[in-house]
Amino acid sequence: MSGIKHIFGKEMARVFKDRKMIFSVFVLPVVVMIGIMGLTTNMAKKQVEDIESHKSIVYIQNMPESFEKFLADNGLDYSMKQANNEAVWEEAKTEIKDGEADLLIEFPKQFEEQVASYEAGQDIPQIKTYYNPSENYSAAAYREISDNILEGYRQMLLLERIGDINEVTIFTVNSDNAEMIIQDDQKASGKALGTMLPYFITILLFAGAMGIGTDMIAGEKERGTMASLLVSPVKRNAIVLGKVFSLMAISGISSVIYVGAMVVAMPKVMGGADAGFDVSLTAAQIAMLAVLMVALAFFYSAIIVVVSVFAKTVKEANSYVMPAYMVILIVGMITMFTNKEPEFSSFCVPIYNSALVLQGILSGEVTMAQYGITLGMTIVLGLVLCGIIVKAFESEKVMSC
Amino acid sequence: MIEIQNLSKVYKLNKKQMKESKLKTPQKVAVNKLSLKAERGEIYGLLGPNGAGKTTTLRCIATIIKPTSGKIFVNGHEVEQKPEEVRKSIGFLTSDIKLDPQFSPNYLFDFFGRLHEVPQNVLKQRKQELFSYFEIGDFAHKQIKELSTGMKQKAAIAVSLVHDPDIVIFDEPTNGLDIITAKSVTDYLKKLRDEGKLVIISTHIMSEAQKLCDRIGIIVDGKKICEGTLDEILQKTGAEDLEDAFFTLYRARCQAGKGVQ
Repeated sequence: MSGIKHIFGKEMARVFKDRKMIFSVFVLPVVVMIGIMGLTTNMAKKQVEDIESHKSIVYIQNMPESFEKFLADNGLDYSMKQANNEAVWEEAKTEIKDGEADLLIEFPKQFEEQVASYEAGQDIPQIKTYYNPSENYSAAAYREISDNILEGYRQMLLLERIGDINEVTIFTVNSDNAEMIIQDDQKASGKALGTMLPYFITILLFAGAMGIGTDMIAGEKERGTMASLLVSPVKRNAIVLGKVFSLMAISGISSVIYVGAMVVAMPKVMGGADAGFDVSLTAAQIAMLAVLMVALAFFYSAIIVVVSVFAKTVKEANSYVMPAYMVILIVGMITMFTNKEPEFSSFCVPIYNSALVLQGILSGEVTMAQYGITLGMTIVLGLVLCGIIVKAFESEKVMSC
Repeated sequence: MIEIQNLSKVYKLNKKQMKESKLKTPQKVAVNKLSLKAERGEIYGLLGPNGAGKTTTLRCIATIIKPTSGKIFVNGHEVEQKPEEVRKSIGFLTSDIKLDPQFSPNYLFDFFGRLHEVPQNVLKQRKQELFSYFEIGDFAHKQIKELSTGMKQKAAIAVSLVHDPDIVIFDEPTNGLDIITAKSVTDYLKKLRDEGKLVIISTHIMSEAQKLCDRIGIIVDGKKICEGTLDEILQKTGAEDLEDAFFTLYRARCQAGKGVQ
């Protein structure tokens, strides 16, 4: 036991006595992550603002007076250009293609007369709009004018024709129902949280330990410092457990810092508490999360160590550990985008089961059987990997560089 | 204290290693049925050219690698049966074993002291003694990576002796050291011998072996070809010094090898 304690202490000292290491392991990733999120949110917001403030350039053919008046009455200000001849029509199309104009509206000739003289059974007049969906300004102009403005204009003409619009409305849906949403707010916030957090927790638990873990084993082999431990009277399993436990602690601490920073900083960075990080967990949920995170940190640390122990250099270890990281990334993503209720057999698939259970804990939908089998499996697999690492430590072929 | 009985160590080679070693069989015999006995209060030198099997023998004694066949007893403990007991009683130093560059000699001395379960008061005393002898005090708080080769070697020697082992095994202990540091190391080894400890060193420096070792075992191609005190070896070979004696034995061994072929 004392061997484990001393090895653990040394590995922790390696990280915590080095300011650069503390900065690179615990601070820098948080700063980078929040910085990237903030930058993307900010840029997306600016893009939306830019589109909203842009005055759409609209070409219009055969514009009826009533439409012009409708726009003016509603304070809708667009840069209108007439496209009443073939040459301007073609020019308008080219400009829309090049992103220089946003929309082309084609009214039929004598549109107002056709509308006014309409009788049942006649063809109804058609307004055509042309736009470029790959240009943001054009797509926004289409959404606003084609979907909303022209609908408003249609309603106005309909009102003129039949006097009371309610005669043709028949019914509305939720036009006056403020209490339409019935949900458990805690469960709902957990659902939003449950979608994102398992993904981040599983990734961060692994990522936090990855760099240090490869250096702790393959780096020590490469530098020749592992041999100094191997000639000490400490048992091989004590060296292994000391290293795995310290890696676990580092992985746990880093993921708590990352997740904490995310929960605190994200709503601010992403604007408002509606960003899906409104945390409200019961004591039981917190306890279940904590125990599973400890087990996961143990399992992931064992994966990193087992991969690193068979590598001769840190470079080699990093390339070996990358596929395991990719698996964890992909599995996290699968759970993030799966809505179907998982079958019990899914909880027997390592890594995937832990992401499912994390999701289940946060949304309050996990059963004790699902939790139990996942926790048990994670711990057992971690122990099996530790057994393999101890065997590898006893192998002169594996341990000699 | 140390008894080696018919030690053989055979390495399996892959195709690349076979090509590099120009061998036709996928095996390399590093040590071939080597036997020796070394007792308390003596400095035993393993002398031989590069690749003779000196370091492999020492690594087998230190339990870093396992013998393919044969037995090694250290203080009565067989290396494969009781590796932890063996490691408790030896201080082992080789150029392959390095101190962690991120830590200071001070930290590492305490760390390895704790691993060897040295009581705190004894640890303090040992540190004072060894740091003072090897003049480590001035750089005890610096990280190993900031130290010169000589300083690193001094720190490594001090750390390897933290638990005051009965048996000290140093593989080419003066390799890469300046003459002053080398002298302080060899003087300390003599001091340990005088205190009744067994010191085993490997070297290919004849003058060092001649001056330092009480008994010498000459190894060529994994086999011990001669053993004895300096006088006994000189008498056997009719040579005037150890270097002449070594070449006489080496030539005889090469001729015998050709004769067999």
